[in-house]
Amino acid sequence: MIRKLSYSLSLFLAVCLLSGPSRASDSDYQQAMKALGSNDFANALHYLESAVTDDPDNLRYASEYRQAAIKSKEFDRALSFFEKLSAAKPQSANLHLNFGFAYVDKIPVAGSITQVILANKALNEFTRAVELQPNWINLYTRGMSYLFWPKIFNRAPMGVADLEKAMKVQSPGPKKNYYVKTYLALGDGYWKTDQLEKARAVWQEGLKQFPDNQQLKTRLERQGDDLQKAIEANFDPNKRVDTDLRDLWTSSQN
Amino acid sequence: MRLSPHNPAPALLLLVAMLGTHPFVGNAAAAQNQPGQRWFEDVTHKAGASARHHTRRFDNPYAEIMQGYTKLGAAAAVADFDGDGFEDIFVTDSCSTCKNHLYRNNGNFTFTDVAEKAGVANGNDEANASSGALWFDYNNDGLPDLFVVRFGHSILYENLGNGKFRDVTKEAGLDRYMNAIKAIAFDYDNDGYVDLFIGCYFQPINIFHPGTPRFFPESFENANNGGGVVVFHNNRNGTFTEVTERVGIHTTGWTLDLGHGDANNDGWEDLYVANDFGTDRFYVNNGNGTFTDNTESAIGFDTKKGMNADWGDFDNDGLLDIYVTNITDDYMREGNFLWHNNGNLTFTDISRETGTDDTGWGWAGKFFDYDNDGWLDLYVMNGWVSAGKESYVPDIFAMVTKPDIDFADARNWPPIGNKSLSGYEKKRLFHNEGGHIFKDEAARHGLDSTKDGRGIAVADFDNDGRLDLFVSNADDEPYLYRNILPTGAHWMGFLLEGTKSNRAAVGAQVRLTANGQTWLRYVNGGNGFASQSTTRVHFGLGKNTKITNIEIRWPSGLKQVVPALPVDHWYKIVEGQPTTNIQPWETKR
Repeated sequence: MIRKLSYSLSLFLAVCLLSGPSRASDSDYQQAMKALGSNDFANALHYLESAVTDDPDNLRYASEYRQAAIKSKEFDRALSFFEKLSAAKPQSANLHLNFGFAYVDKIPVAGSITQVILANKALNEFTRAVELQPNWINLYTRGMSYLFWPKIFNRAPMGVADLEKAMKVQSPGPKKNYYVKTYLALGDGYWKTDQLEKARAVWQEGLKQFPDNQQLKTRLERQGDDLQKAIEANFDPNKRVDTDLRDLWTSSQN
Repeated sequence: MRLSPHNPAPALLLLVAMLGTHPFVGNAAAAQNQPGQRWFEDVTHKAGASARHHTRRFDNPYAEIMQGYTKLGAAAAVADFDGDGFEDIFVTDSCSTCKNHLYRNNGNFTFTDVAEKAGVANGNDEANASSGALWFDYNNDGLPDLFVVRFGHSILYENLGNGKFRDVTKEAGLDRYMNAIKAIAFDYDNDGYVDLFIGCYFQPINIFHPGTPRFFPESFENANNGGGVVVFHNNRNGTFTEVTERVGIHTTGWTLDLGHGDANNDGWEDLYVANDFGTDRFYVNNGNGTFTDNTESAIGFDTKKGMNADWGDFDNDGLLDIYVTNITDDYMREGNFLWHNNGNLTFTDISRETGTDDTGWGWAGKFFDYDNDGWLDLYVMNGWVSAGKESYVPDIFAMVTKPDIDFADARNWPPIGNKSLSGYEKKRLFHNEGGHIFKDEAARHGLDSTKDGRGIAVADFDNDGRLDLFVSNADDEPYLYRNILPTGAHWMGFLLEGTKSNRAAVGAQVRLTANGQTWLRYVNGGNGFASQSTTRVHFGLGKNTKITNIEIRWPSGLKQVVPALPVDHWYKIVEGQPTTNIQPWETKR
């Protein structure tokens, strides 16, 4: 039953992602892409805000909007936009997800304490998204978000729990290239919770599924301090996390 | 000379060195560097300089909260106050009944506390807490005077030259309430007298009995409600005039340290201000008695927790660089700054590239060449509160993530109780590997204490050409580390005396050339958190035995070339006096 439900959620997500632009938002999105092509960020942001407002569940529009905001360093504008829209459309899980990512996008340019505040706010939005739709992207995202917190906060076990659920969601459906992220993250979560054997098992399983993945190979090749360095390099709050969601609609099946 | 089982001489020399019976040995020692060999000896107790520090405990409604943010006041400052040729140490304590210490160097690596006798012991009472110290010759009489930095009213003691001091604070015009934590003295207008720059942490409210709860930092990253910097111009008649606004120093940050140096080699001293809870500041000296705030172009606006500002030319490119400590821990990855001087009044942080970025909760960080190889190394203090096993981090972040919280209100900050925050951190001794990267050698040399370190005073206490260390620790005993370096590395040192320039020669630069390499060292007027190192100028020379050129650039502008001198000695140079027959300097004892 759970597997069936999970598969249904994945299917729902895929439909959301691949349903493509329709309505007035389509025209705004196309205008925004044109503006982006000529580095006209002011117009790009304007048209993308229109597109997202018109179709708040569209992950592509919102993701493109955030990427444009990153390039133009309009972090606060994006946060303000998502805050207002998510208040108006509180049931849109994808909107909450992107709102959370907008906080994450600002973290590398923030001071160390503001980073914590932003991360905490992002987590709140990711939780809202999970509550509304416990699908792969929401579970994976919140799970990863937990893993970024310093050990003292003991949030890694919650990250592991989310990532284990994400793994269950992805297992029965058609394999997507981005599913490799779950193997990496869940293994990292096990490592962060001192379950090295389980971490290696997940990375091994991931490598079976994705034999060319260099990050999995690196983790399996390294031990001790070297492994720690390889993992911690992925959780440096001063480095920008790639929050571009385009993999979701460009990724091919294996 | 090589160390081998067939050649016992180096081991003998090492033994002699450790026994302290070799004052004024020319060549530091003759043994060679052996991997794993320890080059510092903890002589704190043996030397009689072990009085512990006591943090001030407050008695007001916010005392429990203040306890977590005022573990400060352990400081040390070095100078030869009695002119006997041996560097002495002034050490602060902070509890209301605690005495400060003036450790007079007996010349044999033992010290005698003469603070009471000298009249400088009483630095603490109910209304004042000692937080730092600075030796500076405010009246150009050749005797280092003592400025005791305090939360409250700081004190200027005139050195009377007979082993005693006199409180001249009021008559000098320095009687003012400040929550001061740092002072440096340099001659910003090159008028021949050093001026006084004071860094203040809290704004000038009565910290012992605050009339308002809103005296804590308003922000963790951009706080501008601190004490900032106060500048006093030396009137050359024993008095000072406050000129902060007039000279263009506008900062109300939570200043923890000040460091001066000539960033662009134009003959005018520039200023770095390390601020906690926000943006450090870089002021360029305009050469007309004013400064310009060049922070944005020089270093950019940071949001970190600046604790230290020491200057030194770590890569021997003829330009002074700056080392600043911040907080780098599991929960806060700020990273320190090693500001490489680009030569155009801009700096680039290369702390990550050089391996000097992560020193935990950093405090003092001092450049010095401990192995006399010609490259400035770094010793760095760290650790905030080392107490119980429970961490204070979740408490502080629970506060931080509360919406719309007023950080300035002390009542919103959680008491620390017996919890630890970045405690039990190991100190770092970064060995400079050719100006490109640093390697931590603290454990090897026994310098990796886990006490809550604060200040580092670097000086050659036995005049043997090897730089020793005095370390102040909060709520704990200090450390006195004797350098017992057994390598054959050569060195040279200078005691400079200004005539037209300020007498202590603060700001004087010495460029020494040997074998095609030129080194730059200078006299600094007290740089580095909670500590003042020697004003003597020390060069490690490695294998070089022949000096080809020595040039001194005095603050007056005079450039004086000194003929080549034999290595492995200290020399005294007086501004403008003939340098044709300079002999190695000797102590009066």
